[in-house]
Amino acid sequence: MTPKVSKPAIHVPQVAEIEQEVEEKAFKLSEWMAHQGIFIFTAALIAFAMLFIDGFASLPNITDVFNRAAPIGIVAAGMTFVVISGNYLDLSVVAQVATAGVVLIAISNVAGLPLAILVAIAIALLYGLVNGTAVGVFKANAVIVTLSTTFIGLGLLRWVTGGSIYFGPNDGPIRAFGTTRLGPLPLSMIVFVAVTLILSFVLTRTTFGFTVRAYGSNREATRLAGVNSPLVVIGAFTMSSLAAMLGGFVLAAFSNTAVSAMSSGYDFRALAAIIVGGTSVFGGRGSVLRTLLGVVFVSVLTNIMVLSGLGFGAQQMAIGLLIVAAVSVDALARKAATS
Amino acid sequence: MTDTRIPTEPTAPDRAAPGTIARLRVILARRTEGRALALLAVVLVIVLATEPVVFTSYEVTLGRIALIGLVALGLTAVILMGELDLAVASTLAVSGVIMASFESLTAGILAALAAGLLIGVINAFFVIVVGINSFIATLGMLFFLRGAAFVLSDEQPVRLANVDAGIAFGRPLIGPLTPRMLIFVLAFIALHVFLTRVRVGREFYAVGGNREAAYDAGIPVVRRVFTGFMISGFVAALAGVINTLERTAADPTAGSTVLLASFAAAIIGGVLLNGGRGSVFGTLLGASSLGILQVALTLSGVQVDVQNIVIGSVLLLAVVTDPNSLRAAAGSVRAFVQSRSGPQPTG
Repeated sequence: MTPKVSKPAIHVPQVAEIEQEVEEKAFKLSEWMAHQGIFIFTAALIAFAMLFIDGFASLPNITDVFNRAAPIGIVAAGMTFVVISGNYLDLSVVAQVATAGVVLIAISNVAGLPLAILVAIAIALLYGLVNGTAVGVFKANAVIVTLSTTFIGLGLLRWVTGGSIYFGPNDGPIRAFGTTRLGPLPLSMIVFVAVTLILSFVLTRTTFGFTVRAYGSNREATRLAGVNSPLVVIGAFTMSSLAAMLGGFVLAAFSNTAVSAMSSGYDFRALAAIIVGGTSVFGGRGSVLRTLLGVVFVSVLTNIMVLSGLGFGAQQMAIGLLIVAAVSVDALARKAATS
Repeated sequence: MTDTRIPTEPTAPDRAAPGTIARLRVILARRTEGRALALLAVVLVIVLATEPVVFTSYEVTLGRIALIGLVALGLTAVILMGELDLAVASTLAVSGVIMASFESLTAGILAALAAGLLIGVINAFFVIVVGINSFIATLGMLFFLRGAAFVLSDEQPVRLANVDAGIAFGRPLIGPLTPRMLIFVLAFIALHVFLTRVRVGREFYAVGGNREAAYDAGIPVVRRVFTGFMISGFVAALAGVINTLERTAADPTAGSTVLLASFAAAIIGGVLLNGGRGSVFGTLLGASSLGILQVALTLSGVQVDVQNIVIGSVLLLAVVTDPNSLRAAAGSVRAFVQSRSGPQPTG
């Protein structure tokens, strides 16, 4: 059958109309906040910290901020894929970071570094496959799925290790990685920036990255376009798992120790960084580079709170508020854009 | 109103079928508690065979079921509307701490319950007024409230001023029933009646089944969502009060094991995460099987870590064996097979 050729009934907007539309949408505060606010906020926060917080602008403190930011940042960069694919978040990074750290130190102590890395990669792929299959194939809710895999994973890790702390040898590649630094920059920070650039390339320049973004903005359209959507979701979760594994390596190398409780709080810190950076929890929109900025914001904020003597509870309250506030701005911006 | 059946999926055959067997089939097609029943049967058989002490010390078991079930009941009300309240465990912890920080027991309980209602209002505000997805909004609240519980308690358990009241609370009141179980039974009956006989409660199913249609039908959706979150906040606070009374102290980390078990109870009980389908009966069955399972594991000396593995696996199984999930998986497999054998889409 040959389709009848006819003039498209679609209204093609003229230049004048578009200009008018742009002018109408010229300035909406919530939209501007959601898209550009992070640049101003991060600059303002750093300026505030330098002026009013004693000890913030010292070299040891800045190195400390970098050391703590790097593993969270690597985790957040990978989790950005899950958020952009429209699946909210990957809570199980807490279990994954700790597992990777413990595997790296414990197995390299007895069987050498290469085997440890291989085992860690296998575990990360398994996490990505389980989370991705439950969410992508069974269309189960990502929050519930990753909540249950967190409990399973952490339970397994604590059961196997008995909650004991593993120490790496005082010499060797792990220790060397954790202590090397270039000026104020620890090696972990360079790994973080490299991971961000690579993942940013994957998200913006590859077919896989394009389908992740497409799936996040319109699932049905992506499916109709012939994309194998379960594979996209499994891929996004695998990205998150591999990044969480790398984050675990970096965290373990930093202190040269590993314990099952070392990654507590990574779930909401990473989520806060992603959302504050401007990646939308509604899916489809966001970037890994923005997550980098969000990580800087969250890390500086945490450092300010630590320097002011606030405990873990108060920090958790602040980050919880930050998440709700940032998502509120995002939601209001969407309302403003669609109304 | 004469029609008191629980409305379920619109695809269920609704015409009056002749004959007892046909009618039974219609009823069975509407019910959603099958998986909970199966889990309960499996758990009962295994526990009876290996750890019958669970049933001789039934007070412990019933107490556990009551705690899981109470939180799961509140969750059921919210999930029926297609929303989720991840903050319940933190609400439980923070309300316990608030209660223990009061000198007077009555004032403490009232303050804790009021806090639960307020948390529900805040959750509902972010979900339905601001328009944040409830998973993310209540996740933020989960972290915030957990932090608040730590700050309010100085990061350690707060002892109850009136310890005698707590001890009295653990004593059986009627027969073998302690006040905790009585409260659970009352809450169960109240919510069951509310969701099946009261118009406001029945509208929860409409809001969860098709929100647009509910708007068009004139149902005040915003107010219903507020009601739902307030129920779940209040019930979680109630669980916090009971927990604090029984332990005569409020632990800021309380409730982390309840969170997983109560979600699993509601979901395996057939409450659909997308809303519009489920019953408190299913939740009760789910809570019973998980409560028995937890107590059996504890009594046979299984570590908490292994218990977490078991309950986590049950929750994962519960979400992937939901009829909708199985249908989605079958669809995915079919699409995959077609894409291998059929002609490739062009362009």
